[in-house]
Amino acid sequence: MKTTNYRAINTFKSVALHSFLISVALSCLFPLIWMVRSSLMDPETIFTEKSLFPKAIRLVNYYNAWAEGNFGVYFLNSVLYTTAVVVGIVFISSLAAYAFSRLSFPGKNIFFYMFVGAMMIPLPGSFVPLYVLMSKLGLLNSRLGYILCMINVGLPLSILLLKTFFDKMPPDLEDAARIDGCGRLGIWWHVALPLARPALAVIVIFNSLNVWNEFILAMLLLNDKAKMPLQLGIMTFQGAHSVDYHLLMAGLTISSIPVILIYLAMQKHIIKGLASVGVVG
Amino acid sequence: MNKISAGIIVFCLFIGLIILNKDKVKEKSPDKVILWHWLTDRDKVLQELARKYKEQTGVDVVVELYAPADSYVRKVTAAAQAKMLPDIYGNVDTKETFANYIRSGQVADLTSYFQADNQAWEASLFPKALEGNRFYEDNIYGVKPGIYGVPIDVTNMQLLYNKKLLAKAGFQNPPKDFAEFIGMLKALKRIGIPGFVSGWGELWLVDCFSSNYAFNIMGEAKVMATLKGDVPYTDPDWVKVFMVFKEMKDSGGLAEGIITKPNKYAEQDFALERAAFAFNGSWCVNVYYKMNPRLSYGVMLPPPVNDKFPMMIWGNGGSSFSVNYRSKVKERAVDFLKWMTAKEQQALLAKETMNLPSNREAVADIPSVLSDFTMAMDATTHPTVWKYNENPIVVERFYKGVQSIILGDKTPETVAQEVQEEKQKQIEREKRINNRKNRAK
Repeated sequence: MKTTNYRAINTFKSVALHSFLISVALSCLFPLIWMVRSSLMDPETIFTEKSLFPKAIRLVNYYNAWAEGNFGVYFLNSVLYTTAVVVGIVFISSLAAYAFSRLSFPGKNIFFYMFVGAMMIPLPGSFVPLYVLMSKLGLLNSRLGYILCMINVGLPLSILLLKTFFDKMPPDLEDAARIDGCGRLGIWWHVALPLARPALAVIVIFNSLNVWNEFILAMLLLNDKAKMPLQLGIMTFQGAHSVDYHLLMAGLTISSIPVILIYLAMQKHIIKGLASVGVVG
Repeated sequence: MNKISAGIIVFCLFIGLIILNKDKVKEKSPDKVILWHWLTDRDKVLQELARKYKEQTGVDVVVELYAPADSYVRKVTAAAQAKMLPDIYGNVDTKETFANYIRSGQVADLTSYFQADNQAWEASLFPKALEGNRFYEDNIYGVKPGIYGVPIDVTNMQLLYNKKLLAKAGFQNPPKDFAEFIGMLKALKRIGIPGFVSGWGELWLVDCFSSNYAFNIMGEAKVMATLKGDVPYTDPDWVKVFMVFKEMKDSGGLAEGIITKPNKYAEQDFALERAAFAFNGSWCVNVYYKMNPRLSYGVMLPPPVNDKFPMMIWGNGGSSFSVNYRSKVKERAVDFLKWMTAKEQQALLAKETMNLPSNREAVADIPSVLSDFTMAMDATTHPTVWKYNENPIVVERFYKGVQSIILGDKTPETVAQEVQEEKQKQIEREKRINNRKNRAK
């Protein structure tokens, strides 16, 4: 009798838990499904047809979104910005985090807290000084200016994550490398970076998403259409009062594909990285 | 990693930075006129106009779009602080901010251009179109009197009616007065058609609708006297304004959830024939067309309660452009704006974007719904041109009061009392602040 009760309770718990998880998954997936469905419909039927599956599929929306939104140029720009910024962040943050973790120099803690404190400043709050600074440096409307700013945006969190990781790295590994003839940079390259791969994967994913979806800073710093990122192309479908939903959704679908691909490619690492941020060596 | 590898990485980064920086700011050609705007839906036609202008005059106008509006405002603010505004830029903020720009020397005074040749440019535009850009003698902003912007279109707020749904309820014509309007809402309710929809989840739409009726019920002088603080909101005429909402609620003709509905959803309801009447701005022509090109509807002033005073609706210059005071090509910039607001260009803008033209001569060449909207331009008013404006806290109390009436929680008399109490509080607060300021002086 007791066993039957136990089984019934377990089954009930399992059903309740799975129902809850399925409903959460569906609520996450629904906007994506709605986006793809709307991207295949004509503007008149988006709000009148209730079905998730459109009666007539309009693939031409994708062509129109690509052409009208000038996606060809914007797409390449976004790829360039994302690659350059992520490489820059990984390079600088791993060196900085390693230095904060392993080296002793005057003002080390102050510098570190300054970096961490930078995370607290909301981006819009720094727009005016940033614009003035970039204009004085002659970096306004330049790709380099935008890339440097975006690297700066991504550094604090990345340094914090990697420093936490390096702090837990056993000193014995470094000693062994030193015996083998490695210098500071050699230890960073041959020992610290390979061990930090899960944390680096998290940094790559977070920063890729951040740069790929960013447009406010790009709009502030860039003037030439030829230098704008993909998100700005999507904005062209949002009028002051009206929205071209079919093109907007097609544009959003196009722009979300690379992000989904990056996530799928690094899915294993990201879960491992988040789960094992404290386990090193 | 050996020193050679480290050297290669640093070298590659250095070369990369040089390549990327090769395309940094090119000096602007002295002949070009740069125009910044945020009007996504008008970008194509503005580009087209710039192309035509170059063909006709040889002057290169570079149109640069930055949207959405809030991001555009940030860019303009930052550029203004860095003294790097373009030659022409779209105004998007409040009149107070606009006045700040003028006082800080960022905006050129265009009065002399408007008044040249016997005021030819000014006379070609709807007088109300210029009001938002005009500062009169002794204005509260402390700005030198003059005209500081060029409207490329105008807007106004009116009542829209769905011809098919009215016919279903047995009506061939729109209502002539408020009593008839309430009768129609009841008739529509009887056959299961929601009567009236508007984005009353947004405070400004309720503010607009109620001030239209306030002007109609008590006239402009009494509305201004109320804003000044000389007439209380408990005055019977103000109770009548609140009664407008109560009667609409009692008719059962308000769309479900109207008090929390954003205007975008209200627009969907009307476009998809889920409501017979809508209160909306003239931009809706474009919105409705995109959602339902076959929608058959008409435009009218909100039906009046009183025939002693005219119905005044909100309306003004829609989108305006200013010329940078520091621009090196100021004359060229003004010439382009003058050309853009001429009849032919205005008709093209109106046809392509379905906005109302700011040039009154262009009305003959635009679609009929748009010309119907423009016919009411002489009946427009706007808080930006009033001598007095209500305290925002009182406006919010007013809005919450209207919501309570629609919910059936409060009577018009109670709401009038509450709004007056808030008004009194704010008047006393302002007095205290002024006294403190005087003492400090």
